[in-house]
Amino acid sequence: MEEIIKTEGLTKSFKLSSKQRKLEQTDKKVKVAVDSLSFSAYRGEIFGLLGPNGAGKTTTLRMLATLIKPDSGSAIICGKSITKEEKEVRKKIGFLTSELKLEEFFTPNYIFDFFCELYGVDKAVAANRKRFLFGKFGIDRFAEVKIANLSTGMKQKVSLVVSIAHDPDLIIFDEPTNGLDVLTAKVVTDFLEELKAGGKTIILSTHIFSLVEKLCDRVGVIIGGKLVALAPLAELTGEKSLEDTFFELYEKTTGEKI
Amino acid sequence: MKNVFTIVKKEFSRFFRDKRMILTVILPGIMIYVIYSLMGTVFANIGATPKDYKPKAYISGAPASMSETLGLVLEVEGGIADVDSAKALVEDGTIDVAVVFPADFEDNYGGVKVPDVEIYFNSAEQNSSFAYNLVASVLGAFTKPAFTINAGGGIYNLASEESSTKQIMSMMVPVLMFALLASACMAVAPESIAGEKERGTMATMLITPVNRSEIALGKILSLTFFALLGGISSFIGVILSLPKLMGSSINLGAVPYGVGEYFMLFGIIISVVLVIISAFSVLSALAKSVKEAGALIGPMMMAVIVLGMVSIFAPSASVGLYAIPLAGSGLAMAAIMSMTASPLGVALAIISNLVVAALLVVLLAFMFKSEKIMFKK
Ligand SMILES: Nc1ncnc2c1ncn2[C@@H]1O[C@H](COP(=O)(O)OP(=O)(O)OP(=O)(O)O)[C@@H](O)[C@H]1O
Ligand SMILES: [Mg+2]
Repeated sequence: MEEIIKTEGLTKSFKLSSKQRKLEQTDKKVKVAVDSLSFSAYRGEIFGLLGPNGAGKTTTLRMLATLIKPDSGSAIICGKSITKEEKEVRKKIGFLTSELKLEEFFTPNYIFDFFCELYGVDKAVAANRKRFLFGKFGIDRFAEVKIANLSTGMKQKVSLVVSIAHDPDLIIFDEPTNGLDVLTAKVVTDFLEELKAGGKTIILSTHIFSLVEKLCDRVGVIIGGKLVALAPLAELTGEKSLEDTFFELYEKTTGEKI
Repeated sequence: MKNVFTIVKKEFSRFFRDKRMILTVILPGIMIYVIYSLMGTVFANIGATPKDYKPKAYISGAPASMSETLGLVLEVEGGIADVDSAKALVEDGTIDVAVVFPADFEDNYGGVKVPDVEIYFNSAEQNSSFAYNLVASVLGAFTKPAFTINAGGGIYNLASEESSTKQIMSMMVPVLMFALLASACMAVAPESIAGEKERGTMATMLITPVNRSEIALGKILSLTFFALLGGISSFIGVILSLPKLMGSSINLGAVPYGVGEYFMLFGIIISVVLVIISAFSVLSALAKSVKEAGALIGPMMMAVIVLGMVSIFAPSASVGLYAIPLAGSGLAMAAIMSMTASPLGVALAIISNLVVAALLVVLLAFMFKSEKIMFKK
């Protein structure tokens, strides 16, 4: 199996400002957001990072997407190092999160072309992909409408389409269905399965059990920055539901009773 | 380089799609024109010559009938030796007007060869302009087809418009230009850099394989263009309203500014905008929001405006000082407007600005790479 992601001891900590210290109710000056994470993801699978709020999911995905650098440890994506070959990595990945926005003054049509140019996609190829993706997500009717005037669901679809404009091998997706209604969420999850069938690799983060159950081949459970379990979904849960498995893991790691 | 062009193209369509953005950049120029013009009109009325003022005049060679009529409205000064000394007195404002009839006036009056009466005045003096109009209208009653006034093609208005205009321009242009350009930069930089950061659209660009330096350069180049657009539209507003504001002491037509002056001025202006916009962009990149960027830029903006005033306090600075970034450009602008600038000095000023701007672009690219700056919570 081709290893698309391989991380080893990936670690990231943040200095906490006094305001954040109050917010998190701690005196520690440094917060270890991700603590020596090691895992691999393979071609053609959907890998889920499951964890509660503040577990370090977004931080992990941002490191993989080369937006932030790990303090220590390494990650190789499609054979390229996220710290030494950032540009090569960026060509291979599509990153989608609610904190990355598209400029609202532009139309989907313009913004798609713009990002294709930045990714160096050939004009003819880009035009074909645009026709296909816009058609698939029903964006074609809104191709010339300013993004500011689109509905939340349509905006999310445009973001998705733009993030995969360059046909990346790996799609990094932070909270894929956050803020979407059931209809749009289904369009998105169906598409992720389609991408997987097409040989793409997807890593997604979520705290929604049903999403993991529906989509993921393998799951990494991340609590307090640490990977506390990593297994194919069926193996992880065994006879129990994912929910029960998760709470058991949570109690075992944190010592807190739920 | 291709990516720089793509970014510039995007910034341009962003700018021209956003009516509010265009307005904030162009509107100040129009406002300045309207306000200055109104102010000018008000001032002109305040300083106007009273209607019953009797101008002091020198009259030579007038036929009896006309000198009698003119005597009713003018205070004729005796004891002035000749036309040349009368002209000197008009120029320095001692008398208001000199009316000179040709020696053969009476022979030709009403004849075929039309004689020309000369009225010398000084438009820099309110009273003199008043006197000119008065004399011209009185004599006009006589002219019929019999004679012409000031048709000899000489210079009758004896104010030295050229020197006064040069002086005003060399004082005003650097001060105005620095202030107008700085505020134009202020209007575009925070929005484009801190705004994109705040709205999360910058991060979207940062996950593409484009170099940070290309993003920085693309941003700076387009912002420079927008700031130039704003700064120059304001400047044109000022220049157009100057004659109304300053009255007749300024007349751009009287100064032989040539292509060279405009070329040098434009070069300096572009390089100044590059420095200001790069500095403001660096500060905007530090900020988390447009609002915070405004607060960070505020003091810097005051500093830039003060630098523009340097030329007032050091009117005859040596060319070597032009090499001081920004401040030297103020000196160079002043020298260009008084037509004493050496192209070498101007080149020096431009190069020093370009060097600073280039360093700032590198710094900006470096900041775009820093996760502490771009993604701090
Ligand atoms: N830039 C930053 N500066 C300081 N602390 C940060 C920063 N980014 C994340 N953190 C902290 O690191 C921890 C992990 O955050 P992260 O966003 O990765 O969690 P998450 O698993 O994505 O949670 P959520 O479900 O809330 O999105 C949190 O305690 C967060 O406050
Ligand atoms: Mg998160």
